[in-house]
Amino acid sequence: MSDRILRLQHVQIRVPDLELCTAYYTEVLGLIETGHEDGLVFLKCWDEHEHHSVVLRQAPTYGLDHMSFKLAEAGDLDYYTQRVEAVGIAVKRYARGELGQGWGEAIRFEAPSGHTVELVYGMEKVGNMLPLFNPPPKPGGLVGIAPPRLDHIFIMAEDVDAATAFYTGVLEFRLTEQILANDGHQLATWMERSHTPHDLAIVTGPNGALHHFAFWLDDWNAVRDAADQLAYNGVTIDVAPTRHGVTRGYTMYFFDPVGNRNEVFTGGYWVDPDFEPITWTEEEMGRAMFYYAREVNERFFTVHS
Amino acid sequence: MGILRLAHVDIRTTDLELASAYYSEVMGLTAVQRDEDTAYFKCWDEEDHHSLRLRYDARTGLDLFAFRVEKEDDLAELEKAVEAYGCQVQRVSKGQAVGQGESIRFVIPSGQTMELVWDLTKTGNLLGKHNPSPVPPPNLPGIAPPRLDHMLINAEEVGESCAFFRDVLGFRMTEQVIDANGHQLGVWLERSHSPHDIAIVNGPNGALHHFAFWLDDWDHVRKAADILAYNGVQIDQGPTRHGVTRGNTIYFFDPLGIRNEVFTGGYSPDPDFPSITWTEEQFGRGLFYYENVVSQRFLRMHT
Repeated sequence: MSDRILRLQHVQIRVPDLELCTAYYTEVLGLIETGHEDGLVFLKCWDEHEHHSVVLRQAPTYGLDHMSFKLAEAGDLDYYTQRVEAVGIAVKRYARGELGQGWGEAIRFEAPSGHTVELVYGMEKVGNMLPLFNPPPKPGGLVGIAPPRLDHIFIMAEDVDAATAFYTGVLEFRLTEQILANDGHQLATWMERSHTPHDLAIVTGPNGALHHFAFWLDDWNAVRDAADQLAYNGVTIDVAPTRHGVTRGYTMYFFDPVGNRNEVFTGGYWVDPDFEPITWTEEEMGRAMFYYAREVNERFFTVHS
Repeated sequence: MGILRLAHVDIRTTDLELASAYYSEVMGLTAVQRDEDTAYFKCWDEEDHHSLRLRYDARTGLDLFAFRVEKEDDLAELEKAVEAYGCQVQRVSKGQAVGQGESIRFVIPSGQTMELVWDLTKTGNLLGKHNPSPVPPPNLPGIAPPRLDHMLINAEEVGESCAFFRDVLGFRMTEQVIDANGHQLGVWLERSHSPHDIAIVNGPNGALHHFAFWLDDWDHVRKAADILAYNGVQIDQGPTRHGVTRGNTIYFFDPLGIRNEVFTGGYSPDPDFPSITWTEEQFGRGLFYYENVVSQRFLRMHT
């Protein structure tokens, strides 16, 4: 049987200034440009094997076009088409390459949270930046933060319970952590497919909104180094290096030049599929989000794209 | 589906008291159960009953190693596959082994006993599920790794063992070292989307090379080296970096000579990950990227 959804494959975001954002994502964040076509720039992290993990699209607004998750097998496209259509949501199917360069065969649909979700199989392999014979542990010549890979995405939804029920019930994500309001409803949820604390998280906010997407770093030293790079380049830092209670991860939040929030993240824990979810109560929300500061700055919950 | 991850390693030790003291006070594992001739340990972040079993015996070595499967049905399917390969499978019923339910055991082509189990007794980690601190109490003794990570065994015929793990058990090969004739000298295999859950290197059948605990970062590896040195533990290699797996590592020996490792780093391979190949003349760099030497002790010492 297939492993189904493996992990986050890519995010496509809107940017009103494609040139500025391309410069930021390649020179400050340190991603690699793998292609461009009218109004689109394709980017990947150095250790990723597939054509792209971030797509920038020139648009009058900022925000998320869609998020894409990687499928283990081609048959998973039919499997999820049936599951999504069974709850009354229309699914569109796209042939390999139809959506743009490097693209695999995909389905797209709008989740109850108002986000366009893509599930994709068979992205074009362009290789990571290392040889398959006697590779060094890291390539030379990287610039900027140069994270090895995309890690997770955090979106917003008006009804977190309903949004989470769709991702867990229909797409078979597994809940790892949740923050419950005193009346019992979910304020925020964290879900995984990749045996990590989260591939996808949802917090209360406007439907369709992007809170942030995050890149993996190998350790806390790399987070500190990233902070130095961001500060040197004058990037607006939202939350300086700190620790999450939820996910246990080390983190830093910052904004791309047009206001999409980015994160670098490391740490966490291993999750078996029968992991019993962790629950945080509303009064511990500050500690859950930022373990050292024990409070959430207003900007963190109100600013999104 | 199928095999999920390494669950526990069961070893023999010639001094149960001394080994128990080392694993609890220096390694910083939690002692969970002690019987007359066995002791059970776990790491602070593990939810299962134990990940290490020590048994008193006249000789050190490996009793068995156990992998967890994802679903209960996987046990029957893998049992069929292992039997079809020609291994005799022993069913161990609930209540026969501490901390787990039904399991299957069989001897793999390289002579070690392997166990597959789904039903592990959940005792919870140290943090709990309600507003948990992201870190364990700061006064935990020793290195205190969060979890067991992987193991390395020896095999006379690495190629045959590798084929068994891939074709019968569904492991995926992330890396290999091949000699000038194309024979595999070492292979690294995964199920958990990490560089390795088990590795097999050329050596005597039945032998254990080491088992490894996960640490969260390089700082923790450095701190582990300080703890080991302070306690007079014999360090085999490191702290250093592997070429193979890219991990940061230290190798050292428990008081009775079983090799331990602490490990961090690596990468996250998808199931369609293209395997990496190391050639024999680059094996030194593959093993220890900074030193670039093939340590004879590292290759020849095992239990």
